[in-house]
Parts: sequence; structure tokens; C-alpha cells
Amino acid sequence: MPDPNPNRKSGDFTPADYFGSYGGRFVGEALRPALDTLERELVSAWKDPAFQADLRVARDTFIGRPTPLLYAENASKALGGARIYIKMEGLAHTGAHKINNAVGQALLARRMGKKRLIAETGAGQHGLATAAAAARFNLECLVYMGAVDMARQRPNVFAMETMGARVVRVDSGSRTLKDAVNAALRDWSATFPDTHYIIGSALGPSPFPDMVHRFQAVVGEETQEQLRQAGRDATTLIACVGGGSNAIGFFSPFLDLPSPRLVGVEAGGRGPGPGDNAVRMTGPSRMGVAHGYKSRFLMDSDGQIGVTHSISAGLDYPGVGPELASLGESGRIEFTSATDTEALEALRFFARQEGVLFALESAHAGAVAIRQAPGLSPDQTLVVNMSGRGDKDLFITAKQLDRESWLEFLRSEVENA
Amino acid sequence: MPDCKLMAHWVAGYPNREDSLASARALAQGGADYLEIQFPFSDPSADGPLIENAGRDALESGFRVSDGFAMVRELSQLGVPVFIMTYGSLVVAPGTAVFVAEAAKAGARGLVVPDLPPDHDEGLFLAGKKAGLAIVPVVAPEISEERLEIYRRLEPEWVYAALRLGITGSRTVLDQATLGYLERLGKLGGKLIAGFGVRQREQIDALSGQVHAVAVGSHFLECFQQKGGGDNLRQAAANLRVKGEKPGLSH
Repeated sequence: MPDPNPNRKSGDFTPADYFGSYGGRFVGEALRPALDTLERELVSAWKDPAFQADLRVARDTFIGRPTPLLYAENASKALGGARIYIKMEGLAHTGAHKINNAVGQALLARRMGKKRLIAETGAGQHGLATAAAAARFNLECLVYMGAVDMARQRPNVFAMETMGARVVRVDSGSRTLKDAVNAALRDWSATFPDTHYIIGSALGPSPFPDMVHRFQAVVGEETQEQLRQAGRDATTLIACVGGGSNAIGFFSPFLDLPSPRLVGVEAGGRGPGPGDNAVRMTGPSRMGVAHGYKSRFLMDSDGQIGVTHSISAGLDYPGVGPELASLGESGRIEFTSATDTEALEALRFFARQEGVLFALESAHAGAVAIRQAPGLSPDQTLVVNMSGRGDKDLFITAKQLDRESWLEFLRSEVENA
Repeated sequence: MPDCKLMAHWVAGYPNREDSLASARALAQGGADYLEIQFPFSDPSADGPLIENAGRDALESGFRVSDGFAMVRELSQLGVPVFIMTYGSLVVAPGTAVFVAEAAKAGARGLVVPDLPPDHDEGLFLAGKKAGLAIVPVVAPEISEERLEIYRRLEPEWVYAALRLGITGSRTVLDQATLGYLERLGKLGGKLIAGFGVRQREQIDALSGQVHAVAVGSHFLECFQQKGGGDNLRQAAANLRVKGEKPGLSH
């Protein structure tokens, strides 16, 4: 496949510190040398043809790029509106877009002479991607994971450990993703001379948000080229937004253009009540400073970070990447939300219609595609990013979709174990 | 032996409002020269596990920032300078200038916010100057000359020197590198407060003459959790005062 956007492939890249009023590098002085060095090394790696070549080979032969762009013909007909396409990012190795960033940063870490990778993980997808990249590039790997997440995402813990990673249980705070972020930042402030911290989303202190954006931009660049080959102009692009790395990567080549419409979907959870969702951009969030960056957070008037809920662990996070917050404010990206129930319905719909099993996170984007497609005409094109595939969610979706037979299966597994 | 002052750290609202005030008071009575009162934050990124968990307990028992200011108001009556330590989120939430003005009004002498460093301070250092509240920057061992110069230009009255890379509460060894680092910090002009890992008399003796004060936090929480507050905390503070100094409030 030809280079969709050769300008972005190599050459000069100076990572942004701020995006409008959001972003920044809000960390203690102990982490400054690590971040300053990382920024320097990133700029130099980007210019280095050898680094770009390594990245290309890893994308082609390890990640499995390009991922297909599927014309969802049955779904389009069933909904009776727009022509729907699905970017099948969930077909990437380890099951989600997370691997694009993990591989990019692992190659950078290797180039910097680091011996050890650390990562935080919520659902386990970023941890798994980091574990795979670490194994592949001969680096040690340690993954911080909240005790609550370890309990509900046990299959990913097994997979990470099988790849040689050490998974460290985090028992502080709410024992979920945000606490794993804090634990990883603390580890890094003591270990950065030989350790690189691979943050899993387009957030955290600079240069992480823009670096993660660049490593994920391949998703949007491929989509742009694949649409061109299909002879279609997109009317609307839809992606789910937790921290926002799949969305910013998917939207990347279109951000400076007037079209298509770009729609970010947050987790509507159980409903609009406090603690019941993770709606930052259209909900009662505040501008705040946490986890090393300034953005919109779900927090109280004192600045204490709030509790969130989503059926999908990947969207269950109180902050949003700073670039997305800025693009939401400027209006380039429109934000909406989908509830737990709508996500499950969308998951079932695309499974039946197309034989494609969305991850619960991506199913939120699917839900908004279902909502918006009927309002468009068949000559208009709607593209939804399936950022991950749904295999990982089996333990959550099965008991929601067919509780009795799933419980019977689990019982028989225990008996036979 | 040259004097080395003791800054005693306590988490506001831990284990609850009353006992937290009593504990900080006991530390002052035991001879602490400064009190550092930490306002707990839900997502602390520079605390060791003891302090983080104490902060979580305080938040679970309902700590509000207004309680923290009330505590500082009480403690500042003791005649011991009180510093507030917290994270950027709490400072930025009401507006940096508002938080700083509140802190000054409560009688605080200084404010320590590790994740609002000079070039990403949301107006903190300027607000401090306007309100007459010392903003105490936190520096760390691998700091570059370039960054040191940024700090020097702030003309800080106090400088909080993290003594080793990483978190609070694990052991500190004073080696040549540490001594060299403290010497580099001399050019900042401020009085040095050394912290992050100080828990033993020997460490404080080693730091005497090198720094103005040492900050001790996790150690007092440990004492409290093992043997309780009151006299025990008073004694714990007194034990860390440099020999020849009489514990007490007069200095």
C-alpha cells in the first residue's frame, strides 16, 4: 500500500506541550530529567530513517498492518441510511489499537538503551500490548494493575504473565486504572535511568500525548487511503473516547480539514448521575491538573478526582486526553455518549449483521453509528473505528447476553478443573 | 554541632479531624520547628504508601479543603510556622490565586506543590509573591543547571530538596553524590529543607550543617500507627531534635 501521508512518516516532529489551554508537564522535578530526555530522544528518533524502518517492519510483520476497512453492507441496509464502514483495528495483534503505541514506544526505549518497560493498565489491553512488545524486543516488562481490575480481567493477567511480564497489583486509592497510573509514575521517578514508561493513552505529561497521537496516527492515515481507494468521501467518523488514543489517531489526518464530521463517544454508563458514567466533555467536568496534565476531569469542587463507571474498563477513566479536550472546545470534534445498554445492543447488532465482534469500548462508537446512520443518505459515508475486538470481554458480555448458559458453563469448568 | 531544624509533616484529616489536629500539635510540642500539613488528594503521585493511605483514610472520613484551612488556622496560633503541602489539582480547582489567598489568610507561612513546577505553575509563584506566602519549590537530585537557574531567579525563601529519586518513606543514605547535590543547591540562596526518606537521628546528624531543616513524615505516621498519638508523637519529635537542643516551643 502506498504511503498515505508521507509527511507524517518521518522528518521533523516537535511534540506539543500544550493544545490550546490543555496539556502541559505537571510533574514533580524528579520526573523532569526523564521527560526532557524522552522529548529529545523522540525528536531525534523521528528523523532517523533506521528508526522509521524498524517501525514499518514491526507494523507490517508483527502488528499486522494495514488493518482492513470493511464495508458493512448488511448493517447499512438494516439501518437504511448512510453507507457504513468499519475500520477493523481490532484485528491488530493483541486485539486492539494499543499495540501501535506499545510497539512504537518499545522501539524508542530500545533505541534509548533502556532495559526495562513499565506500563499501567486498566482492562489489560495496554498491558498486554506492552508485554508483547517487550517480549518481542527483548526488554523486561512490569505492568501495574489495580487490584479491582486484576480481579475482573483475569484472562489478560494470564496472557501478560505468559509473555514474561510481571503484573504488580496496586492496592492504593480506588485500586483501578488511575491508581495504576500513579504507581507507574512513582516507579518511573526512581528508575528512569534504565526504564521507560509506556503510557497507554494520549494523555499524561508532555511529550506523551503528542507522541501517542503520532504512533496512533497510522489508523487514520490508513483509513484515509482506504476510503480513497474505495472512491468514498467520509461524511462522519466515529470513535469511542476513554483517554482518547484511538480517537486522536483515527481522526488525525482530518483534524486540519473542514470535513468529515468527527464524533467522539464517551461512556454514558448507567446514566447521568455522579459516579455512574465517564462523560467528561458533555458532562459536569472541570478543568483540572492531575496525572501530569491539564484537562477536563470528573472531580469535585475541591479538586478531588471522582469515581467513574462504565461497562467497558477502557472508557472508565476520569480524565480525557488534552488534545481532545481542546478540539472539543474548538468544536472540531463533537462529543456525545452511549450508555452501557446501548453499547451491548450495538455489540449484538454488528455481531449478527456483519459477523464482527466489537470490544465493549468500540461498541460505544458502534451505538452512535446506529443512532446517526438513519439520518444520512446512502450516498453519504459513515466510518466507525472498531478500536478493539470483543474476545477479551467474553466474561462480561456472556453473562449479560446469555446469563444462564454462561453460568452453567462456568460451573462445569470448575467441576472439571 | 550546627543546628538543623525539624519540619514535622502530618496529613490533615488523618485519622480524623480532631486527632489530626492533636497529632500536629503534639509534634510541635515535641520540638518541631516547622509544621508541614498535607492536604490529601485523591490521586497523589509523589507520596509513599504510608502517606498515600493516610490521605485516603482522611478523604474517606470526609476531609474537605476548608477543614484543612481551619486546621492551619488553629496550628498557626502555636507560634510554629505552618506550611501547607498539596497537589496542583487542589490549588487549581478554586483558582490558584484564591487558594493562595486562603492559605495566607489561614496563617500559613508557605506552600509546597510538587506538581506545579516553575514553568508549569498556573500562576502559583506570582500569586505567592502578591499574597506574601512563600512558595517552596521542590527540587530533585538530577536537576539540570538550566532548571537550577530557573529556580534561582525565583529567589525562593525556602527550597525543598528531595534527597533521592523516588518516593517518600524509604531509607536515605547520604553519600558523596547527595552532598554534592546539596552543595549545588546552595546557589539558589534559599534555606534548604531536606526530605523524602529521613527517619533516623544519624541521618539528621549527617545533614546538620548541610541543610537548614529536615522534613520528616512517614516516620511519624509509623510511630502513630504502632504506638498511638499524644505523648508518643511528642517523644518521637523530641528524639529527632539535634542534641543539645531543648525540646519545646521557644526558639
